[in-house]
Amino acid sequence: MTASAAPGKSAIPLATMLRSGIGLTIGRIAIAAALLAAWQIASGTIVPIFWISNPARILERLWSWAVSGSVWPHVYATILTTGLGYAIGGAIGAALGLVLGAWRRAERIVAPLIAALFCLPKIALLPLFVIAFGIDIESKVALVSVVVVFLVLYSTIDGVRDVDPDLIDALKLMGASRDEIVFKVILPSTLPWIYNGLRVAVSYALTTAVVGELLSSNRGIGYLIESSAARFDSTGVFAAVLVLVVLCVVVTEGLTLLERRALRHRS
Amino acid sequence: MTVCRLSGDAQPRLQGRETMIELRKVSKSFETRGRSVKALDTINLSVREHEFVALVGPSGCGKSTVLNMLAGLMDPSAGEVTYRGERVSGANRRVGYMTQKDTLLPWRTVEDNIRIALELRCRSSEAGERGARLREIIDLVGLNGFEKHYPSEISGGMRKRAALARMLIYEPETLLLDEPFGALDAQLKIIMQRELLRITRVRNMTVVFVTHDLAEAVTLADRVCVFSGRPGRIRAEREVLAAEPRDVVGMRFTPEFGALAEDLWNELKDDVGKELTT
Ligand SMILES: Nc1ncnc2c1ncn2[C@@H]1O[C@H](COP(=O)(O)OP(=O)(O)OP(=O)(O)O)[C@@H](O)[C@H]1O
Ligand SMILES: [Mg+2]
Repeated sequence: MTASAAPGKSAIPLATMLRSGIGLTIGRIAIAAALLAAWQIASGTIVPIFWISNPARILERLWSWAVSGSVWPHVYATILTTGLGYAIGGAIGAALGLVLGAWRRAERIVAPLIAALFCLPKIALLPLFVIAFGIDIESKVALVSVVVVFLVLYSTIDGVRDVDPDLIDALKLMGASRDEIVFKVILPSTLPWIYNGLRVAVSYALTTAVVGELLSSNRGIGYLIESSAARFDSTGVFAAVLVLVVLCVVVTEGLTLLERRALRHRS
Repeated sequence: MTVCRLSGDAQPRLQGRETMIELRKVSKSFETRGRSVKALDTINLSVREHEFVALVGPSGCGKSTVLNMLAGLMDPSAGEVTYRGERVSGANRRVGYMTQKDTLLPWRTVEDNIRIALELRCRSSEAGERGARLREIIDLVGLNGFEKHYPSEISGGMRKRAALARMLIYEPETLLLDEPFGALDAQLKIIMQRELLRITRVRNMTVVFVTHDLAEAVTLADRVCVFSGRPGRIRAEREVLAAEPRDVVGMRFTPEFGALAEDLWNELKDDVGKELTT
């Protein structure tokens, strides 16, 4: 099926790595522990604490954030921005891709425009969005949407182009209307491509949300990193980055699980 | 045209029938990578209502191209293709077309693939009636037990049979069949030939049937057209008169059958393999 022609995924899921033997796991823990210990010892002796903080302080900060609850609004804001932007961008990208893919003439007209916008670093649009939507999450949602739209749009257009024209002819002869051809041939045949675009877009959405927050925001993990750095609080920066790592792993793993379930359903 | 009588009491079946399909001075060329390839050269062919016409000829002589033009999927480069007196332009929805390559939808099971024609055409027919028809047709092509399989999970011959079922279930007035039984074993082929003849006679269908198998052509057709090598022309035509209902196995063992097959082979052999030697 066409799914095999779509670009494959390369990341090794965490679950597989964890299952790969006790020896390996112990080895990994040992290396991590050694690095952390070296960091703890080096800070304040070889390198000033001011620059690199240390693991004990970072843990302490994370604990106090968790206990006071001050970190949750930021985590929530980043998740909300990513999720909303992803959903809006994914829906628009897939719909637009289907329309443009199926309607060649329209696609030829707007193709240069889309190509130009595609190569534009979307982050350059952030100031515009901030002017239009304000400093709150709406401007970042818009930015994430734009990034996701293009990823899904391109993948969807490719998918529509890959539809076997003989299948369309076959249905036409059987009396299918234009709508029936879209819903019974083009859409099902393009679904794996749309899905693939959506999968790739997840990590872009998260990255874009955080970069947007770093640049101009009043909430979010990106904002937490930025505001800590502005106060020369390296402990805060490390702690916020750690929160981001955890969020990223949770999202990626969740996706892998979902994907497995979908595959099981297909086979 | 030469008429070949396969048995003494054979009667013409199609007297007084009107012309259904007509190709008038049809030529077809393809442009590929700047080169023009002439696939068909000034073909004249007419098919009457209820007639069963077989097209035989060497590979690449344009048989599939003829079917594509009848289905309205391709336009002729010169000449005219008409169906019931009207010029064919755009998909011809009165024909059912079983292409050389099967066009089953890979994401639908065998059953859902066969059903699709009913979803599209017979929007008014009742679910119960549809179910009965579906079972009947699956039975007919011998795909019981494979209803829930996907096309990628069945053999090439089974896919062909599924495609045949998909076409037969909605009973188009004209069937275009491109080597439908090529991938089947001898025994299954005979069964399918018998069923095809039965159904097309009962439903009064018009059939244009492409095959490489001369015996199959003689067994099934009212008329056999032999194409020359590329550019394809109609080199010879033979009308086949046989006693009805045709006995697809028995008729092969008559001397008349053998003589006709040999005659067709003589028309064909000069062109077959010509491409290999030149
Ligand atoms: N879509 C196309 N584009 C370009 N050339 C084509 C196309 N379809 C057919 N041809 C050319 O036209 C000629 C006739 O093709 P066609 O498929 O009709 O042959 P055929 O008689 O059905 O052969 P076979 O018995 O092998 O199926 C071939 O030389 C082929 O290369
Ligand atoms: Mg062919």
